[in-house]
Amino acid sequence: MPRFKTGLMNGLIDGKGFDTTLVLLSLGYLLVFSAFPLIFNLIMSFQQVDLFSLAQLVRPFVGWDNYRDVLTRPESWPIFLNTVKFVGISLLAQVSVGFALALFFQQSFPGATFLRGLFLAGWIMPALVVGAVWSWVLAGDYGVLNYGLQSLGLVRDKIFWLSDPAWTLYAVIIANVWLGIPFNMILLSVGLAGIPDDLYEAAKMDGATCLQRFTTITLPMMRAQLGAVISLGTIFTLQQFDLFAALTQGGPANASNVFQYWSWQLSFENYEIGQGSVISMLMILFVILVAVVYVRSTRHEQAS
Amino acid sequence: MNPLKIMFLSALGLSGSWTMAHSAPVELDLWTIDQPGEYHYVMAREFDQQHADITINVRTVQFRDVVNDLARAVATGNGPDVTYIDNPDMALFAPRHLLLDLAPYVRKSDIVDIDRIFPGPLASVRFDDSLYGLPRGSNTLALYYNADMFEAAGLDPDQPPTTWEQLYQYAKALTDSSENVYGLAFSAINSEEGTFQFLPWVQMGGGDYNNIATPGAKRALTLWTRLIEEGLASRDTLIRSQYESTGTFNAGNAAMAISGPWELPRMSEEADFNYRVAMLPVPEKKAKRASALGEGVNTILANTRYPKEAFEFLEFMHANMDRVWNEFGMLPASRVEVKDPNFPQAYAVFDESMKYARTRGPTPEWQKISQTIQQAVQSALTGQVEPAVALENAQLKIDRILD
Repeated sequence: MPRFKTGLMNGLIDGKGFDTTLVLLSLGYLLVFSAFPLIFNLIMSFQQVDLFSLAQLVRPFVGWDNYRDVLTRPESWPIFLNTVKFVGISLLAQVSVGFALALFFQQSFPGATFLRGLFLAGWIMPALVVGAVWSWVLAGDYGVLNYGLQSLGLVRDKIFWLSDPAWTLYAVIIANVWLGIPFNMILLSVGLAGIPDDLYEAAKMDGATCLQRFTTITLPMMRAQLGAVISLGTIFTLQQFDLFAALTQGGPANASNVFQYWSWQLSFENYEIGQGSVISMLMILFVILVAVVYVRSTRHEQAS
Repeated sequence: MNPLKIMFLSALGLSGSWTMAHSAPVELDLWTIDQPGEYHYVMAREFDQQHADITINVRTVQFRDVVNDLARAVATGNGPDVTYIDNPDMALFAPRHLLLDLAPYVRKSDIVDIDRIFPGPLASVRFDDSLYGLPRGSNTLALYYNADMFEAAGLDPDQPPTTWEQLYQYAKALTDSSENVYGLAFSAINSEEGTFQFLPWVQMGGGDYNNIATPGAKRALTLWTRLIEEGLASRDTLIRSQYESTGTFNAGNAAMAISGPWELPRMSEEADFNYRVAMLPVPEKKAKRASALGEGVNTILANTRYPKEAFEFLEFMHANMDRVWNEFGMLPASRVEVKDPNFPQAYAVFDESMKYARTRGPTPEWQKISQTIQQAVQSALTGQVEPAVALENAQLKIDRILD
């Protein structure tokens, strides 16, 4: 036995056994916690599932029926468009404002790092809490935002941010942008800090203007960071669930509903679990696409 | 169970007392939506004290998780013995034989007389000849109104609106947008609460969950739409729960509110004006009344090991029905005499409304139908679709669901 023990210990220490163990552990983890749920979800999307057959694997197979059912519903196209709008506008605003703030805090002025740290406060708050706070800010009758807008004379009538279908999606986007800016800012700040100062100095001596320095040095040097922020931002935005739950529950009349919230509604409110799985399958496919783009873009960076 | 208690029990058993019937100590698991100190916790503690040989373990489940958790527990065989189920969800469990049929037990019971249970609550537990639970209590809807505002607007506080048309006129007279006062507060939120508020209007108009596009229902939804569009009720009615809507009434920002008896404790503390309660207005004078039926059912899962003891516990709770109003804020679900009710004026109105309270469904497809109704209401209230069209579309969907 002692011999075996030393053999095993040696194996672990000398590297080969250790490596194998690590690989097996992470592979096992991936299989159990990622692959299994994914495959389970995939199977469910082709089955007729209700609450009481949730624990079984063998259920009536319905082919593409669930897909056909969900995708032909009159609400599916508007909800898809909402999802595109939500992701697109959130991402654009988060990245541009985050980038602007990162550039701003890159300037050295008293308290710059401290203030930048303060921005993180928003990001460490749970989205449900953020949602609750924003629902007070955006409330139609007694909300702070309407009060401010009316006092400033910018609007005459109250805007019902959370119950007027023309506004609700934008209300959630505003809250989501606010929530996402700090993350973008910090990640981009790290990138900015990595650009050598002498590049700027040299450019300055050559007479490059501020704008020229930005477009010829900052932007190209930040390509990898921007790619990462955009792909991660897409995934985070597609995961955004709490804000919808706290602010509008996808309403009124689906005006602010998006795929991620709809999928949950189908599965856990309507108990149409097969249909809910269809939506999450479609989202997974899209996220995989984004992930591939992200991985390819960073690989390109490393190679060059 | 500690050894002392076991020794004590076996001593009792040996001495030949009647507790021989439960020679082994019995543990019952109870799932509830209550928090410690509320109904089920109190009932379980009192029952425990009377029955040395039965222990009840109470566990709180979030209201919205009850159905999911129960379904999962039943699938894996880890379910409780006794559980709370919301009344419209009964139809999901009943036809699957997951619940114990209480009919044979009730027939032999001296305590439970199902003829005394109000028709609404009874309809939520009786399926053909089977009885799958006993209503633990009820609630229903009525119209709260601010009598001071009535007087200020020149309306007689002893004559609350009784018809839909009157409700509209009163709401119009009471709305004062310069003071941020709306005529009426109610809830059209896209959750079960929205259906809970709208369905009685459909039922008063001669329809029901499976017949939603009747002329009466269209009139009701048109009236709701006018209330919102003309600013007699806030647009945020679409996102406020009943509790939040009534909060604006308590704060003096709405002159009338439609909600249930659960509001009374808070209202008695927050509202610094003279408020009263009236029955829900009906489509026209002498029209049939209807009201919502809320609250849930005490049920026993079919695979319990102790059906007899579990039923004893249900009987015990049923026998305490006269306490639910004063102590737990529910309306009795059966005809019992409530001595010295709290909020007597409100109690009289709600008690009368209970006679007209109708269950949602029953149908195992309730959740889908409920969501269809919410969508129809919201799409009309936001002006996306005409009320009549919204209800006709909903009817098509409901027909497909029930098909």
